[in-house]
Amino acid sequence: MTFRICSHEAEIKELMKCGHWPEACSAELRTHAAACRSCSDLLLLEQAFRKARAATAVSASLPPHGAIWWRAQLRRRNAAVERIGRPILGAEIFALSIAVILASGLIVSQGRHGLQWLTRLGEWMTGISQSEAFRLDMLLPSSGWMYLIPILAVLALLSGVVLYLSSEKH
Amino acid sequence: MQWESVIPNAVSGYAADAQTASLQMDSDAFAGFYQRSSRPLWAYLARVSGDPALADDLTQESYVRFLCATSPPLLQEGEVASKRYLFRIATNLLRDHWRRPHSASIEEIPEEFFVAKAHPEQADSEAVLTPALARMRPRDRQILWLAHAEGYSHHEIAEVTGLASASIRILLFRARRKIASLLREQEKAGFVSNPERRWQP
Repeated sequence: MTFRICSHEAEIKELMKCGHWPEACSAELRTHAAACRSCSDLLLLEQAFRKARAATAVSASLPPHGAIWWRAQLRRRNAAVERIGRPILGAEIFALSIAVILASGLIVSQGRHGLQWLTRLGEWMTGISQSEAFRLDMLLPSSGWMYLIPILAVLALLSGVVLYLSSEKH
Repeated sequence: MQWESVIPNAVSGYAADAQTASLQMDSDAFAGFYQRSSRPLWAYLARVSGDPALADDLTQESYVRFLCATSPPLLQEGEVASKRYLFRIATNLLRDHWRRPHSASIEEIPEEFFVAKAHPEQADSEAVLTPALARMRPRDRQILWLAHAEGYSHHEIAEVTGLASASIRILLFRARRKIASLLREQEKAGFVSNPERRWQP
């Protein structure tokens, strides 16, 4: 197939675009278009496609522009929320990993101390069951508040993370 | 007075200036743009895909993506550039759709497919072009539609389809030859009345 474009094509195309074809063009050009394969192809296709475009465009049933505008706004907002949510997710993961490290550290340290506080907790429970007065010093190890504070801190941190995650899912 | 205001673009250069100038399209401007461009876009998608329901979906998606785009054409470039950008989005969506494996059952096809067309002109144009287009490759259908229905230049078609301008010239030439011969075959078979007869000397 030889690749050849007729020099009159642009002129014919322009005439068709302006609506001057075939009435307002020279007889020579019409004669040429009838004889030239490239130009006759162009004419055939331009007429067929323009007609098809007009007919197809009429049959389109399109939604109102407001609906599309609203959808775009919604998508933009969701994308923005997602963008903002990314660092929060990172913070959540960071907090969770810190909590896990702390909890595992605590478990290890308690394991080393022979879980003395559990026996003290047992004593405290029996103390309560015997309706004795609440004595906090029974629960404490010899070193005082050293163990209770990290436990409470870890519990607070974990409950905060759990609460946040559950509210996020909700 | 801050020194940045005295010496504009000293820090951010021309990019920031261009950003401030590229005003986002507001609702009213979009309404006008939508009214002028939606039917040609739908016609393009419907004719190239051969599926009006798909054209409905892709038209909507194209506009949503157009509005959500982070770097749409600047307002200074005009509506022609915006329309070209829109056609580019639609072309990419269509390409993505063709790449996805899918199957449609008879229940999924809308009833409109089985109903006779209300517009006689549309029925006529479909009788002329649809069988010939159906025998063309999707890419050829795209190029032909953009060239002859939308009147885009080779450069513009290249921008919309993402192909090289030189390739468009060759592809369009071949596609044009092929579809013209298909249309002439139909004409000989008696399906089409020759539109050229009325001006032939």
